[in-house]
Amino acid sequence: MSTPKANSTYDAQLVTNAGDVIPNGWRLLADDETHGVDGPVVLGFDRALRELDGLNGHYGVRINPGDDVRLLEPFLDKLTVIEVAFPGFRDGRGYSTARILREDLGYTRVLRAVGDVLRDQLFYMLRCGFDEFLVKDKDPAEAVTSAAKRFSTTYQGAADSARPAWALRHAGV
Amino acid sequence: MKLLTANRLTDGLTLWYSGSGWVEDAAEATKLSDDDADALLIEWKLRETEVVAPYLIPLTDTGNPVQREHVREFVRANGPTIGQTTDAVAKEHGRTAIFEE
Amino acid sequence: MPATTQAPTPTMYKYDAFDHAFVRDRNKEFAGQVARRLAGEITEDQFKPLRLMNGLYLQLHAYMLRIAVPYGVLSSKQMRKFAHIARTYDRDFGHFTTRQNLQFNWIKLADAPKILEELAEVEMHALQTSGNCIRNTTTDQFAGAARDEVADPRPWAEVIRQWSSNHPEFTFLPRKFKIAITGATKDRAAIRVHDIGLHLKPSGFDVYVGGGMGRTPHVAPVIKRDLNPEQLLSYLEACLRVYNRYGRRDNIYKARIKILVSALGAEEYGRQVEEEWSRLDKAKVDAPAAEVNRIKSFFPDPAFVDGFDSAAFERARTADAGFARWVKNNTNPHKRDNHVSVTISLKPTGLPPGDASSAQMDVMADVADAYGYGELRVSHEQNIILPHVAKNDLYTLYEKLDAAGLGTANAGKITDMIACPGLDYCSLANARSIPLAQDISQRFEDAKLTDQIGDLQIKISGCINACGHHHVGHIGILGVDKQGIEFYQILLGGRADEKAALGQITGKGLSAEAVPAAIERVVRLYLDLRTSETERFIDTLERVGRDAFAEALHEHA
Repeated sequence: MSTPKANSTYDAQLVTNAGDVIPNGWRLLADDETHGVDGPVVLGFDRALRELDGLNGHYGVRINPGDDVRLLEPFLDKLTVIEVAFPGFRDGRGYSTARILREDLGYTRVLRAVGDVLRDQLFYMLRCGFDEFLVKDKDPAEAVTSAAKRFSTTYQGAADSARPAWALRHAGV
Repeated sequence: MKLLTANRLTDGLTLWYSGSGWVEDAAEATKLSDDDADALLIEWKLRETEVVAPYLIPLTDTGNPVQREHVREFVRANGPTIGQTTDAVAKEHGRTAIFEE
Repeated sequence: MPATTQAPTPTMYKYDAFDHAFVRDRNKEFAGQVARRLAGEITEDQFKPLRLMNGLYLQLHAYMLRIAVPYGVLSSKQMRKFAHIARTYDRDFGHFTTRQNLQFNWIKLADAPKILEELAEVEMHALQTSGNCIRNTTTDQFAGAARDEVADPRPWAEVIRQWSSNHPEFTFLPRKFKIAITGATKDRAAIRVHDIGLHLKPSGFDVYVGGGMGRTPHVAPVIKRDLNPEQLLSYLEACLRVYNRYGRRDNIYKARIKILVSALGAEEYGRQVEEEWSRLDKAKVDAPAAEVNRIKSFFPDPAFVDGFDSAAFERARTADAGFARWVKNNTNPHKRDNHVSVTISLKPTGLPPGDASSAQMDVMADVADAYGYGELRVSHEQNIILPHVAKNDLYTLYEKLDAAGLGTANAGKITDMIACPGLDYCSLANARSIPLAQDISQRFEDAKLTDQIGDLQIKISGCINACGHHHVGHIGILGVDKQGIEFYQILLGGRADEKAALGQITGKGLSAEAVPAAIERVVRLYLDLRTSETERFIDTLERVGRDAFAEALHEHA
């Protein structure tokens, strides 16, 4: 028997919630890098807060655990991509970040999970409103499509369109 | 000197490395030189299809686990020390005493 | 005494198609993961979090499977299934825990999917019994039966169970999260030493947040009073979101919510929760009235039988002193005058607290059917409860239990100890708990002495994680390891009830051999000092102060 290769050792690929592998047109800018004409850029969180007020156009921003997503509220209309970082499997702050963006702040454009994104988290990420995943897996597209089908019953309202069991039980009442 | 121990993947039972492979009875465990032990640990950490969570138990000159580990390893080698799972179960499953308490 | 016919129909929540589908999906997924692991397709590093999510731990000697007993409520059918699993897949016994759950200590990985399938047949699973998620909600073991109950906590525990199942936002919290709920005046659920404690009153819920034991014990402060029950879930969601965002993740020992609440202060934490709560779309989170009513409809009173032949009952009490003593110690007042709640003690002298053999499980299921409307409970004191028993049936019930070694008349007494599995099973433990509990129970074997001492709670943990609740024992015992030798620190003055308080460590650790005698000295001192037989140990200790007792404890040390 050969020793299996851990999914976390595969290169990350960008997959949509529909299971399509797509190229990543966005680039995270180092904090001392100037942004010019090189194409769409993702700003670090603090830099975004400092600079977005004076910028025109569409940008991306990277939110790390510990960043208060609500500080972005005044700039949301300038953001095309929001990347939420999951530095480790066990750090679940990004799930709250995503739900606040979708359900509280009403952000509707691309919400992307990056970092240590593995197959077993995808179900929860989908429910919290992520629609793109930079996922490490042998078969990343299959990982996303199977996550979407993983459970037929959900018990709570969240950022996706799944209706909780209590809504379905009383549908039409 | 060290002992190499782990749990069997399929049923989780405590195993001991003897020269010829893994055994359930701690009394048959091989006392390994430190170098051999370190090499075997690395090997078995990579070969996780048979055993899980392998680790080394350092021994004193008299062949007992060093003090810090003593009680834990005694219980691990001999089975629970209590009530309805005591001696009978330990014997039934080949856990004869190896570490003198 | 005339036997009373009653229907063995437990009044508890029943799965519908959605609940069945949920458990089936999880089991199917886990069976696939186990197969992949056994085939060598995934590594232990990848598999470990997956098996833990399904309640399967690797302990000192073998895999341990922890099965969730939702808020401690069991049907006779489920208890029989436990007996079957113990016989078929384990070494013929199981261990009931302080979390009102059941653990099997000798499970084979290859059997786990089959066991989960068998559990699903009786509407049970092992989900969320591990990991940094919302764990099984615990409650009063006499819920729906106790005379001092103001409101029934069980429907709300079920509402919480469903909401917390596979919660997408709260599956990777900083640390595990435990909610307890009571609806009675006397707090039997120890709500103030839980992450969230809920006290249900006619005016709504009082919400306590940030209690806990472990390395830094805290008694939870109240952060909201009279919460409208219809908004319970959205309020909990706000509590959890603040914790998920701001709870510490840099240090496992500082990651529980108690540390956050104590760092922020209860007032500031409460303010942040209110703010978050005000921004939540409550209609999306709160279960609607129709759903709450549906869940409530599963918890009516059983069809209580009428009548009570008090003359026959008194004759039995007079004729059988053992029965009289058992009635006195092991029954709790019921809301119906002709019923009681019965505690089946799993603490016979010299045996591991909380353990039951498969034969005993079968007996408990049988007597639940014959005399207890088919329902049982697991108490956090690691006993089994028959919540509703007609007094006319008590003597027959007692005889059957006693014949099976289940008639120990020590509920709430000094030998009714809580003890975690300790180093005999647990890979986290530093010292053994169960053998010490056995020694202490032998020391106080004498029934007269036990009764003379009255209510006294001893709680033993084999490590600082405090699964044995040592912080809230009237006498708490904490096992520590000093250079390979087990020592036991003794705490005095803790209590888990509505006057929750933390015990304080007294002096140096004692050897296992010294503990029973030391406890006896403390108990003798109490008997000397108490003003009357109704002054309990904890009352005397609070009146006189700890010092005298601490001195007695360490007299010869």
